[in-house]
Amino acid sequence: MRALSSLLIVAAIPAVLAVKTHDFKTCSQAGFCRRGRALSARAAENPSWKSPYSIDASSVDLSPDQAAFTAAVRSSIYPEVKFGLDVRIHDDGVVRVRMDEVDGLRQRYNEAASWALLEEPKVSQKIQWSVGKNGVRAAYGPKNGVEVDVSFEPLQVTLRRDGKEQVVLNGRGLLHMEHFRTKESVEKSKEGVEVPEEGLDTDENAQVVLRALPRTAWFEGDSEDGWWEESFNSFTDPKPRGPESLSVDIDFPNHGHVYGIPQHATRLDLPLTTGEGAHYSDPYRLYNADVFEYLADSTMSLYGSIPVMYAHSADSTVGIFNAVGSETWIDVGRPSPKSTSSHWISETGILDIFILPGPTPADIFGQYTRLTGTPALPAHWALGYHQCRWNYISSDDVRSVQKRFDEEDIPVDVFWLDIEYSEDHKYFIWDKRHFPDPVDMIHDVEAIQRKMVVIVDPHLKRTDDYPVYTQARDRGLLVKKGDGKTDYEGWCWSGSSAWVDFFHPGSWDWWKSLFKVQPQGDQWSWVESTVDTGIWNDMNEPSIFNGPEISMPRENIHHGGWEHRDLHNINGMLFSNLTSQAVMARTDPPKRPFVLTRSFYAGSQRFGAMWTGDNLGTWEHMAVGVKMVLANNIAGFSFAGSDVGGFFGNPEPEMLVRWYGVGVFSPFLRAHAHIDTKRREPYLLDEPYKSIVRDMLRLRYSMLPVWYTAFREASVTGLPVVRPHFVVFPGDENGFSLDDQFFVGGSGLLVKPVTRKGATEESVYLPAEDQVYYDYFNHNAYRSTSKGKNITVPAELHQIPLFIRGGSIIPTRERPRRSSPLMKHDPFTLRVALSNDGSARGELYLDDGETFSHRDGEFVWREFVAEKPAKKSKGVRLSSRNLAAQKPAEAVDQVALATYDSSNGFAKDVAEVRVEKVVVLGLAAKPSSITAGGKELQWTFTPGVAASDKKEGTASVLIIKDPKLSITSDWEILVQA
Amino acid sequence: MHPWLLLLLPLHVLASKERLHGVRPELAARYVPTKKGSADTWQCLDGSKVIEWSAVNDDFCDCPDGSDEPGTSACPNSLFYCVNEGHIGSLIPSSRVRDGLCEPECCDGSDEAPGVCPNQCKEVGEAYRERVKAEEKLRKTGSKIRSIYVAFAQKEKKRLEQEITQTEQEITTREKEVARLKDLVERTESLSAAALEERKKSPLYQSLLTHVTALKSLQREHMKHLEREKALGDILDSLRTGYNPNYQDMAVLEAVRGWEQLAGLPHINDVGKDAEDENGELGSDDVAAAEDEEEEVDDGMWTAMQLEHQLDDLLNTDYEALLVEHDKHIGAPASPTSILFNLSAYLPDVLVPQYEAFRDQVVAVLEVLGLGKGSDPAADTSKQQKALNDAEHSLRLTRKDKEDKEQELARLFDPEWYGAEGEWKKLHGTCLEKELGDYIYEVCLFGEARQKPLRGGSTFSLGHFASWNDAPGVEKGSPAYYSKQYYKNGAKCWNGPQRSVSLDMTCGLENAVLSVGEPEKCEYEFKVTSPALCLPLNASGATREEL
Repeated sequence: MRALSSLLIVAAIPAVLAVKTHDFKTCSQAGFCRRGRALSARAAENPSWKSPYSIDASSVDLSPDQAAFTAAVRSSIYPEVKFGLDVRIHDDGVVRVRMDEVDGLRQRYNEAASWALLEEPKVSQKIQWSVGKNGVRAAYGPKNGVEVDVSFEPLQVTLRRDGKEQVVLNGRGLLHMEHFRTKESVEKSKEGVEVPEEGLDTDENAQVVLRALPRTAWFEGDSEDGWWEESFNSFTDPKPRGPESLSVDIDFPNHGHVYGIPQHATRLDLPLTTGEGAHYSDPYRLYNADVFEYLADSTMSLYGSIPVMYAHSADSTVGIFNAVGSETWIDVGRPSPKSTSSHWISETGILDIFILPGPTPADIFGQYTRLTGTPALPAHWALGYHQCRWNYISSDDVRSVQKRFDEEDIPVDVFWLDIEYSEDHKYFIWDKRHFPDPVDMIHDVEAIQRKMVVIVDPHLKRTDDYPVYTQARDRGLLVKKGDGKTDYEGWCWSGSSAWVDFFHPGSWDWWKSLFKVQPQGDQWSWVESTVDTGIWNDMNEPSIFNGPEISMPRENIHHGGWEHRDLHNINGMLFSNLTSQAVMARTDPPKRPFVLTRSFYAGSQRFGAMWTGDNLGTWEHMAVGVKMVLANNIAGFSFAGSDVGGFFGNPEPEMLVRWYGVGVFSPFLRAHAHIDTKRREPYLLDEPYKSIVRDMLRLRYSMLPVWYTAFREASVTGLPVVRPHFVVFPGDENGFSLDDQFFVGGSGLLVKPVTRKGATEESVYLPAEDQVYYDYFNHNAYRSTSKGKNITVPAELHQIPLFIRGGSIIPTRERPRRSSPLMKHDPFTLRVALSNDGSARGELYLDDGETFSHRDGEFVWREFVAEKPAKKSKGVRLSSRNLAAQKPAEAVDQVALATYDSSNGFAKDVAEVRVEKVVVLGLAAKPSSITAGGKELQWTFTPGVAASDKKEGTASVLIIKDPKLSITSDWEILVQA
Repeated sequence: MHPWLLLLLPLHVLASKERLHGVRPELAARYVPTKKGSADTWQCLDGSKVIEWSAVNDDFCDCPDGSDEPGTSACPNSLFYCVNEGHIGSLIPSSRVRDGLCEPECCDGSDEAPGVCPNQCKEVGEAYRERVKAEEKLRKTGSKIRSIYVAFAQKEKKRLEQEITQTEQEITTREKEVARLKDLVERTESLSAAALEERKKSPLYQSLLTHVTALKSLQREHMKHLEREKALGDILDSLRTGYNPNYQDMAVLEAVRGWEQLAGLPHINDVGKDAEDENGELGSDDVAAAEDEEEEVDDGMWTAMQLEHQLDDLLNTDYEALLVEHDKHIGAPASPTSILFNLSAYLPDVLVPQYEAFRDQVVAVLEVLGLGKGSDPAADTSKQQKALNDAEHSLRLTRKDKEDKEQELARLFDPEWYGAEGEWKKLHGTCLEKELGDYIYEVCLFGEARQKPLRGGSTFSLGHFASWNDAPGVEKGSPAYYSKQYYKNGAKCWNGPQRSVSLDMTCGLENAVLSVGEPEKCEYEFKVTSPALCLPLNASGATREEL
């Protein structure tokens, strides 16, 4: 009976909870993916396979003054079709390889990079190409160790470092750019005379058979599989432009791990999809989609796409960014444990690949974010706790939720409104029956220095009483049907709806004008709002209930005549980017905008935050959410989180508490719930759960200085805010697949959120280094070794395994407040976690948190250093130094400041903010005296394990009481022992 | 003065009075220093630690219980006392001390640094006192109405008691009548039982019984189908009105569309788009539907209406009485004047003697069977039986009536029903309405709550009265107990729970629904006022703070 009932449960769950996989295509249901995989299979079967593409050596044209050349490419199977190649090397060593069809029937989509890139990258004027007999080469970098080799026949691009192959394009001959053709021309070509097959080493019999087939069959296959029309479910894609897919193999011959290509609900270290040891049968798919109740372990595409992939080994990290906007499938294989192959199959577009030479993870993030931009420095309040629900149903409901938070003294910064605030889902337009006084309501929230975020979705209700729709329609800004003339109509929350074409430049200023809170003459604008109201952009894949794969028909036409299929993955980014600009344009000077987006693309990080969409309230989703946030972070988009509690379902208290544990260590922290769920705001929890969640949220708020400092670093260097092990310890093989524990910025905090039901302890991996790690809460000292170490630590419901790496100084603000802006003048605590050599360092970045005045030098950037006063001393000298003055050019995003003025307005404003407490962990002996500026300080010392010991156990703790030192000034504390 | 110097000042120069900043009056006596040698010391309130007196309110948390910082935000979870001279003192969490916001609870501005917040206690205190006065006035007037309710309950008590006595008498009378009729029926039955039994053997009667059984079975099946159809219709209606397009399920959409077509309903997303158009359409649909129905009926067959309403009557026919009636009809030709007796006139003479002998035999047999002429006791029996049935039915009704009244009397002063003073009795069955959006929300107190659409569609039950506030920790009969009513087990929501309502009730001069909300799907919250909650000022034991 037991067996039977458990069987029933197993059978029942997928039916109730599982995604409707049949709503979405597998590779075998997408013609071009089928063709791409078949091409790969033919190549694998044929040992003498050779790419038909080659460079016409005589056509190579080197640029006289920069590292760029162009060349003509031809394909032996279609000698009459012309292709052009353009290869250039940027200042930072990134190699860009572009190939396009020349003089074809029409232009392939070539604008993906223009949306993704921050600016046109600077081509190196130092590096030089040289033309050889077999190809074009360049060497650069330290000792000219980096070599790029573009070989003529077949066309192949290889990047080597120190003689070792790092990245190889078309090494397996899978490059194929299906040129534009017409049905008629194909029919005609079949009548042609048979030509001996190229690249195929066949015997007589086989040749006879093959001769009956088209001359291209050995390469393209013998059927026009899905060339002209495709059906899926009840939808037919007319494909008026015929086949135009793009396939390319990108191999990493010396790298056993690959990461990236979000968004997928899978492990960080990407499992294989092909060949031996394949974990999945379908390739990773990038096709932004609103996947209802998505699977927690799948290669299915989700809401966003960032086509960047990193390959990693203990001594090298490299990457590629494939600027393609159409649907793309990526097979990942591992021919040997130390090498990885990938095969990229896209529906349309030119070849536009950036090879990132590394060699370290930090280099890679620099190279990638120089291309697509670093994450925007968020408004400080946006790092606080966001409370959301579909839906807070009235302005009084919002007020009462705020009241309950304050009664329970639980910190929160933002209250959110989902779609039901709007009248008939006409976004911007308040439903006055339930929200009679929207501006007063927002002001009541803002009175506690909190903010509101209100949703604006991209589907516009087609009704004449909706100015946003009528204006877009009258200005001709709506996406068109396949005929290119008629406005497209689809079905979404608002019923019959239309979509603005944000690729249309005419939409940009118009969209910005809508968000103005001051009346704009006759022009409608959102005066029933405030300048600090943030915006939530949902459903921007776009999600269309009656469209193919719940999205837009691919034959729809955008500005410039491009088909939707060309730019589908970019579409969502444009909406949130424009919204972000619109929010910024509300004031002059602008304030930092907050816009949350569900759909995204490479470059979205410049404009806001994302979340992992409509997750389920299950332990699996909680766990995979951590991995997805990490994957997003390494792909440049750090401001990421998943819905705390799970969007669907009613989490039991244990799950909800653990989810808060995950959330307070996510860059973006928001609780959200579906309309069908029970309310679950933290104040509704019983004890002890309520107090545990309150403590977790207060922990988050105490650590806001750490998070904000990490965001500064991300905004300047591109280094992720949460960092997986391979990023921080690139040489430690044990950490390459770890994705359930991670570091917070460069702070030295290592955390492993608990995502297992019923857990009472957790196993934590300490990286391979001879170093001490302190438990953040009880100061227990653990010691790792040069081989790394697994430790088991208590993880009861109220506990989050959190460690400070020896050698770190953590600045916190420990006074609970109702919202984060109210902490502005609160004093700091410094936790000095001594390393085994008795030193430590940490950073703190502060600014006004809401404007761009930091780019004018209005900020404070400090470094705290602990070092031995003398070589054999058991004491320590703590000092506060002015990093901003030392490195003004590296201080803030977007601008390289020449100088730093320590008495800037912001620094003056917080000059009275003091360090109220210094905690030193691991001091070797009880101090004899502690002084600052010659004055004796008050302190207490609890003996324990010293950092320099070999022992484990509770570390010694020195607490210095109120040294009366300003956070903004230079100072020294001398601990003598 | 530079602001951060202000912050440092208390540490050195401020007098003992400052050490008492934020201490609530009842603890003031414990904030005194102890002399220990040359230094003044102080013990944390939980006794865990002794600290220097100068460390009290020095903006650094020394005591584990936070008691050394009553006047700063240095210790989490401690409380700050605002004196609020001219108003009433209040406690705020330490998290609100010196956070830059002037707390409304601290009208004296003592929660922030001097000079940040103005002292508004005079105005605030005055406004507060006026508010209290207004509240008291409301309570006073409300409690007068309430006392009328209480008096009503007393009257009800008398009325019910009286009626119960009357009903008891009525029951006695009716019991006697039933006994008399029963006796009559029994006697009549014993006389005729044998004869009736014989008649029941008639194949016609037996066949009739079989027909009845068959018809009843058919009716039962028919009812099952009707119920099933209705249930399916209800499910589809709920699906139609409640389905969530978020599920993006084309199967659901098709089901909704299919049902709308079948049931002749407009598409749900078009409802209200153009009310006039839709009404027009609906009207013509109705006519068409009615025509359809009429066309189907021919050949004298029963209509669906007849089947629904007349079949029961048919099946309730007294067949035994019919049997007797039947006798009358077929008994007529069997009488001596009937064809059997006059047949001889048509027979050839040679056969007449044989015929007459046969005829006599036949008549004798018929008489034995009781089918011939003679008295008809069966008809009497069924008439008497009907009288008895009627009398018994009346008796049952009267008894039920008595039970109901007794229950109503018991509930009258039951704290779980109309309150210890019966103050809610008056409102039993009072229906309160609130229009919101496309619906009127209605609650009939102690009865049912409903959602009635304004623009067509079906009314949904939101639940029936289930209980007062039975949350843990709420004492039965306390004011908190009567501050909430629950209505549960309403119509089930598509993909959700059964609808339910929670009434949040406060004292007010009118019985009214102030607002309706749906904080969770299909769980409604009505804010309601009623004078029944206005306790007399002296009796409530309410302190000023509670107001």
